[in-house]
Amino acid sequence: MVRTTEGIEVEGTVIECLRNATFRVELENGHKVLAHISGKIRKNYIKILPYDRVLVELSAYDLNRGRILYRYRT
Amino acid sequence: MNSARFISDMGKHAVVVNRVAETQWHAVEDDLTIGRGHTSRRPDGRMFLSIDAWHGAAFDRLADTMLADLPKPLYTIADEADLDLISQWERAGFTIRRREGEYLVPTDPRVTGLGSAPPPAGVTIVAVGRARRGPLLTLDRLIREEVEATVGWQEMPAEVLPRPDGAGAVDPSQYAVAAQGDEYVGLLRVATVLRQPRCRRIGLIAVRSGLRRRGVARALLAHVLGSLHRCGIETASADVNESNRAAVALFEGVGARRAGGNLELVLR
Repeated sequence: MVRTTEGIEVEGTVIECLRNATFRVELENGHKVLAHISGKIRKNYIKILPYDRVLVELSAYDLNRGRILYRYRT
Repeated sequence: MNSARFISDMGKHAVVVNRVAETQWHAVEDDLTIGRGHTSRRPDGRMFLSIDAWHGAAFDRLADTMLADLPKPLYTIADEADLDLISQWERAGFTIRRREGEYLVPTDPRVTGLGSAPPPAGVTIVAVGRARRGPLLTLDRLIREEVEATVGWQEMPAEVLPRPDGAGAVDPSQYAVAAQGDEYVGLLRVATVLRQPRCRRIGLIAVRSGLRRRGVARALLAHVLGSLHRCGIETASADVNESNRAAVALFEGVGARRAGGNLELVLR
């Protein structure tokens, strides 16, 4: 886990696609967060699917929420 | 890089928005980045924005600053299910310009009703991977010229983009084509989705303008879906611009189910 002024970034695995364009992501430490996708991912029409490995930035205000910044190639 | 700077009180803390690069803005509160804005230009020349912020007020500050810095028109994309994001963009003055639906298409002829969808007289279907490269490149070029001369790239599904690098990206192994004599008149691109081995992606269906409304696209779809079904592939997916009534009717007519969609918004 990396803590910078850019926020907390951690890798995880998408375990569920939910309504409202959100995803449930299990982080490496087992913690589960609700995450939206980042605008860059959305602009590039990158699809997020269950079991995708992703990089998540956690909210500065609520560690149970996050934003998917990157989808790793599998 | 010159920075455009915007300060606004939000409760007891101040949010500072800086333009940190030509295409990037950051919203910072107490030395913590709480929002980011980004722009990128599509190959068709249009500029798209994105903003990620942890609360609505930070989104609004970023939007205010970016919109003041950038020439109009500006575009953005939102998942149609992301109502919060859509309302944030609408608050900034954006309006919905087009909708693009993602459809899941069954391949089973008993479901699609495409068991007997022969091409029109004089037209034959060439299976995926069997198309000759030369005529396929010619057809690809002609179809792209027709797009540019008529609806324009901005009306095509987002994954169908102008290709400034020329025809080199056409891979015959991904195409089924409709042939009329020695000439190719229609194409369907189908791609493997590595992470979804039981699904295929229909990237593009196009028919030369003089042969539309004759069942060529339907025959291409019937051929490809039937082939996928025989290979054990149960579903294909495709994005469709919902203002393209013919395309929507084609997919809905074979039992495709709408699984989601994106909105393109514009600020003029």
